[in-house]
Amino acid sequence: MPEMNEEQRKALEEKIKNMSPEELREFQKQQCIFCQIIAGKVPAKKIYEDEKSVAVLDINPAAKGHILILPKEHYAIMPQVPDHESGHLFLVVKALSQILLRALKVSGTSIFIANGLAAGQKAQHFMIHLIPRKEGDDFLILEEKWFAESVRQQVKAVVQPRLQELLGVKKEVFVQKTLPPVAPQEEAEEEAAAEETKEESVEEQVEEQVEEKTEEEIEEVSVEEAAEELEEMEEAPLKKSALKKKSIAKKQPGKKHEKKKVNSHEKKDYHIPKKESKKETKKETKKEHKSEKKEKVSLDDIAHLFR
Amino acid sequence: MACEYCELIKGKTSAEILYADEDLIVAVRETGLVPGQITIIPKEHFTILEMVPDEILKKCITIANKVGIVIFEKLGCQGTNILVQNGLGGGQKVPHFSLEVLPRREGDNLNLSWKPQQLMEEEMETTFLTLKEEGEKVVNVGKSSSKKVFPVAEKAEKIVKEEGKENYLLKSLKRIP
Repeated sequence: MPEMNEEQRKALEEKIKNMSPEELREFQKQQCIFCQIIAGKVPAKKIYEDEKSVAVLDINPAAKGHILILPKEHYAIMPQVPDHESGHLFLVVKALSQILLRALKVSGTSIFIANGLAAGQKAQHFMIHLIPRKEGDDFLILEEKWFAESVRQQVKAVVQPRLQELLGVKKEVFVQKTLPPVAPQEEAEEEAAAEETKEESVEEQVEEQVEEKTEEEIEEVSVEEAAEELEEMEEAPLKKSALKKKSIAKKQPGKKHEKKKVNSHEKKDYHIPKKESKKETKKETKKEHKSEKKEKVSLDDIAHLFR
Repeated sequence: MACEYCELIKGKTSAEILYADEDLIVAVRETGLVPGQITIIPKEHFTILEMVPDEILKKCITIANKVGIVIFEKLGCQGTNILVQNGLGGGQKVPHFSLEVLPRREGDNLNLSWKPQQLMEEEMETTFLTLKEEGEKVVNVGKSSSKKVFPVAEKAEKIVKEEGKENYLLKSLKRIP
């Protein structure tokens, strides 16, 4: 691309700013040499093509038979690539690697992905390099170093919590989303534990009552009675809200006896996960607090190591 | 001789394990190219990439991508590499397939680049043709494109049709008396 002067650059920047996302994507495609290869506007030696991916020979190869595997969609870096596409790309890599081993009589292949300048990425289009290798090559010769246990532990402390979160310990994430806001968690652990047990017992009582009522036919219990019962018990915010729900359900006039029963069953169903999930979130938040503290310490340490 | 990674999966080394499920394990190994390097290893012993079943390979790469994202966020690096050393020539040290995720920084003294070669047009063309030719032989490519799958399906259809004809003929034979 020819050098731009100051005015042209400003004009271009302005133009890019005003673009809609669709226009921007189109503009990116026009600028990206690999998108043009995929579209067939620039000639290239295509080894393989399907609806999602293209494999071409690199014009500046590290070795004879160096293949680039590209997604047809324009992604700058790997984190942007959706899972099903990256999986598909690697199946293509696997097949092509087999072809390289057979056709070129090489003793191995290197698969290389670079994300970011520091990692050696040169083009703004995500790609997988597949390089045929022979013993005695003069590139990608890598010597592993030994790392102290403390380094490994630090890496673990920093990476593990977030990784497990991303890898979908899905239950916990789901529970968090559906939960009503929980009281602040700043109390000491002991207090929290004590509270937990309290809440548990209260909830159990409520549950028992609900069960009894379903047996005795709830229809007869008026809203007022329920409220009185509530007041008799110790006041807990959760209990109240639970009973409010109950009363709302009961207030619906003109409904049949059966329906109410169903309602109460539903309520019961609500209760059980609530209790469990509350405990879980409490534990989670505690864990999070701890890990955050750890992270702060270890991040500095690790950053220091890298210098 | 025991495989180093199989030992690691059993927990017999001092490597730190970050995640494990029925198919694979994510670990910080004792050695590496840069500090913060994370390895994804399938639990079953596959020597090279070509032996890894599709489903497990997909899972490996999905998790490698997630690991890459976490490394970006948490280790404060400026880039990541994913590297597979496949086969002796590829520099594979342990005979057990693995995926390496490396955090990268400016000036980390790791050279993963290569000197680009300028091949003659003819040479490129012959490489291209050999690969194309070999590609048509290898059935595996057919898995992702439907080219190779079709003939098989057609044959199967034919057989079905033939059977149908026979049945039809047999029926008509029975009818004659």
